[in-house]
Amino acid sequence: MNHPGELLSAFLDGEVTEEERSRVAHHLAGCEPCREELSDLNSSRTAVRSLLLLELPAGLVPPEDDGVEVPILARRPPVWIAAAAAAILALFVGIATILAPPTTLEVRLDQLSDQYGARTSLEPAITPRTPVPVIERGAGTIE
Amino acid sequence: MLENVPLTWEEVARVYGRKIYNFAYRLAGNPDDAADLTQEVLLRVKKGLAGYQPGSFEGWLWRITRNAFLDDIRRRKRRPTAPLPDEVDRLAGHSSPAPDEILASVRLGEDIQAALLELPFDFREAVVLCDVVGLTYEEISTAVAAPIGTVRSRIHRGRKMLKGLLR
Repeated sequence: MNHPGELLSAFLDGEVTEEERSRVAHHLAGCEPCREELSDLNSSRTAVRSLLLLELPAGLVPPEDDGVEVPILARRPPVWIAAAAAAILALFVGIATILAPPTTLEVRLDQLSDQYGARTSLEPAITPRTPVPVIERGAGTIE
Repeated sequence: MLENVPLTWEEVARVYGRKIYNFAYRLAGNPDDAADLTQEVLLRVKKGLAGYQPGSFEGWLWRITRNAFLDDIRRRKRRPTAPLPDEVDRLAGHSSPAPDEILASVRLGEDIQAALLELPFDFREAVVLCDVVGLTYEEISTAVAAPIGTVRSRIHRGRKMLKGLLR
């Protein structure tokens, strides 16, 4: 096999196909110069990754609303989620009403949702990977 | 990341502001230009967010960022300046490492920053997007509007040049 060359950096980053990974690994086992090149590339990569993550200067980003973080769940879930949740709860109530003896007709919805897991269906289906607080629109400006 | 999730520009600023600033700092090499660039990027995000089509948000955002940087370079027609030794004041986190560890880290950081500034822009940009911002090759490809093979080549050559500069 020819020397992998540019594939070596991609190999370090895991940006190769399985076939390429296998080919490069096999080549490295028998090629000292390529192992040295890989080591050099890795030291550069490590050096840049070791750079400190700098703090943002004050004032560049809109401030939080009075520093009070509103839980992400305060976001209004899409209408279909609320409708689905209501339907599931209604179903549970219906089943519980049918199955339960007459003396336990008084059903507490919060217990039902705990018991059957319906609570989870009330949470937004899609949440950002990084939680962001909900703020008033237009609360912050860039000077 | 955040595909199809509508964000306000304030949310973009909070979630990505620090990354944008760090990208800008590593490209420009000084805090003033980095702050100006971050501000410019956030303004462009504010203007452009309404027209954003769901897709690669990261690619869209970093394309705006690098275009703002290139526009700034064209406008001022000057080379990025050397880094200022003020990183001590901007250290991230508050884990209280020993002072000599901080100084050693800052000095090493200055060497690396100076070496980054010696790289051709395309190489520096690819390396910073990969190793500082943490984008995938595909996201970098979208951001810099170049094929993945080109991204792979730029990162590789940038790292090889860095190794020579850091010897």
